[in-house]
Amino acid sequence: MSLTARNALIALGITIVLTGTVVYTINYLNRARVAELSAIGDKLSIDILSLDTQFSLLTAAPCDSIASSTTLISELADMGTRLAYAESQLGSDNAQVLRLKDQYSLLEIRDYLITKQLATACGTKPPVMVLYFYSNAGDCADCDRAGYALSYLRDTYPKLRVYSFDYNLDLGALKTLIAVTKVKNTLPAFVINGKPSYGFTSLTDLEKQFPKGALATTTPKL
Amino acid sequence: MSPEMFAYPFLFIAIFVESFILVTILSKPARDARARGPATVLPTVAIIVPCWNEMTTLAATCESLLALDYPKEKLEIILVDDGSTDATPTIMQSFAQHPQVRVILKENGGKHTALNAGIASTEAELIGCLDADSFVEPDALREIVTCFIDEQVAATTAAMSVHRPKNMLQHMQNAEYTFGISLRHSFSSVNGIYVTPGPFSFYRRSVVNELGGFRYGHQTEDMEMALRIQQAGHKIDNAPRARVYTKTPETLFKLIKQRTRWTSGFLRNIFGEYRGLIGSQRHGALGMLVLPSAVLSIGSSILLFSLVLFKLTRHASAAINIRAGIPLSYAMTPHGSFDWFYFPTSAYLFLGAATLLASFTLIAIGKRISRTPGNLTFGIASYALLYAFIAPIWLISATSDVVRGKRRGWRY
Repeated sequence: MSLTARNALIALGITIVLTGTVVYTINYLNRARVAELSAIGDKLSIDILSLDTQFSLLTAAPCDSIASSTTLISELADMGTRLAYAESQLGSDNAQVLRLKDQYSLLEIRDYLITKQLATACGTKPPVMVLYFYSNAGDCADCDRAGYALSYLRDTYPKLRVYSFDYNLDLGALKTLIAVTKVKNTLPAFVINGKPSYGFTSLTDLEKQFPKGALATTTPKL
Repeated sequence: MSPEMFAYPFLFIAIFVESFILVTILSKPARDARARGPATVLPTVAIIVPCWNEMTTLAATCESLLALDYPKEKLEIILVDDGSTDATPTIMQSFAQHPQVRVILKENGGKHTALNAGIASTEAELIGCLDADSFVEPDALREIVTCFIDEQVAATTAAMSVHRPKNMLQHMQNAEYTFGISLRHSFSSVNGIYVTPGPFSFYRRSVVNELGGFRYGHQTEDMEMALRIQQAGHKIDNAPRARVYTKTPETLFKLIKQRTRWTSGFLRNIFGEYRGLIGSQRHGALGMLVLPSAVLSIGSSILLFSLVLFKLTRHASAAINIRAGIPLSYAMTPHGSFDWFYFPTSAYLFLGAATLLASFTLIAIGKRISRTPGNLTFGIASYALLYAFIAPIWLISATSDVVRGKRRGWRY
C-alpha cells in the first residue's frame, strides 16, 4: 500500500472517530437536557400540588398566605425561558415539550387565580396581571416582539405579573380560560386586568393599555 | 431540510484533509526529511531577483542574499530590472560592483520574462528565485541545497513567514503562512506540492531547460511552473527550515487584490492546461487528494461563508426587530443565566470547532518544524477571528473573475 493510501485510510479513521465523538457528545448533552426537563416537569407537578393546597388553605385563613403565594412568579419566568429554549431545540411538536407546556400553563392559571383570590379575600389592591396569548404556529408575526416587550416590562416593574400562554395548546383549563376571558384568535392578545386587547405595534402603545400608575416603580417608605 | 445539512459533507472533508496533513507529518518520509543534515557537496547556484518598482525593499533583499552562508564562488545573484519606473535600477547599480552580483536591465515584459532573462544569463546548476520584497536567513540556502541530493527532486520550496507583521491583518497572514509551512512539508512527503512560491523556491537547471523556462501562467508563473514540473513527473521537495520572510499586504483591499490574483491564477491553470492532473492516479496524492481538495475548499469556503452570513443576518435582523422600541439600556444587556442548559448543541458548531482546532495545531507544528522565532499567539487569535470572514471574499472575487473572464492588474 502506498504512503498516500495508508495515510488517507488513517485520516479517514480519525475523521470518522471524531465525527462519531461529536455525534455522541451532542446526544449526551441532549439527553442531559431532556433529563433536566423531566426535573422541571417534577417541579411543576409539585408546584401545582402546592398551589392547590394553598388554595384550600385560603378558605380558612386567606390573608396569612400572601407572602408564600407571590414567590412563584420568578420561578415561573425561569421555567418559561427554559421551556421556550427547549421548544426551539427539540421542536414545538415534541411530546415532552408539549406535556411540560401543559403543566406550565396549569401552574400559571393556578397562580393567576390564587393571586386574584387573595386580593379579593384580603381587600388589598391586586397586582397588575397580564395574560399574554401567543402562537408558535407561524401565524403570529408580532408575537416575538410582544414577548420581548413584556419581558422588558416584567423585569422593569417587578410588581407586574405576566402569564404567557400558547393559544393553540390543547389543554382543557386553558380553553376554559380563553372562553372565560373572551379572548379571540387574533394574536398576539393581551388581557390586562381583565380587559382584552389585540395586536402589538410598539412598547409605548402597549404601555398605554395599562391602568394609570400601574407601571410606576414603587419605592418602599422608610 | 436545514441549510446546515449542506455544510456537513464539507466539514467532514475539511477534517479529513487536516487529519491527512497531520498523519503525513508524523509519517517516516517527513520525519526523515526533518532529520536531514547539511549538504556536503555544494552545487553552483544562481538566485534571480526579478524587480519592478521595488526601490523600498530591494536593498534589504540584496543584503540578506549577500549574507547567505554559501561559498562565494558558487553563488551568483542576478538582479533583473523589468522596466521599473522608480529608482530600482539605481539601487541595483549600487550593488553591481559586488563580485557575486550581476545586473540585467530590460524592458517591462512581466515577471516570467524577468526570470527567463536571468536564467538565460547563467550556467548554474540550481536556479533560485527571490521576490524583491523578501529576506532570507543566512542558513536558508544550505537547507535548500540538501533537498537536491535526491536526483529526482526538480524543485524545492522554503518555509515562508511574514516579515515584521504590524497590524492584525498581517498577523493573521503570518499564522496562515505558518500553516502553509506544515502544509508544504506534509505534501512534499507525498509529492503533492502544486506551487513553488516566489520567495526562495529553487529549480534544477536541467529541468528548467527541459520544460522551457517560465510562462505567463495567468499571473501565477510560480504555480504554473510547479504544475508543469508535476505534470512532467518530477518531484517537488520542501526544506522546512529554510526560512524566508516576505512583506505582505497591510490593508484589506490590497490583500483581497493579491489573493484574488493568486486564486484566479490557480483556477485558470487547474481548469485550463492542467485539468488532466485532477483525479490523475498517475500523479498520486497530488491528483487524487491535494488538487481535488484544493478546488473543493474554494467551493466549500464560499458555501460555508454564505451559510454563516445568511444565519447571522437572519439572527441579527430578528434580534434588531424584536428589540425595536425597547430602551437600549435593556436591549443591549444580556439577560438570563449562564447555564449549561442553554449550551448550543449543533454538530455544525462542533465540527467547525474541530476544524479550527486542527488548524491551530498545524500552525503550531509549522512554527516548531521551521524553528521560526517569535510569538504567534496574536497571529492565531487574528486568524481565528478574521480568516473565515475575509478569505471567502477573495475566493468569491476570484471565482467571479474566472467565470466572467475578467483579468486584473498585477500590483496590490
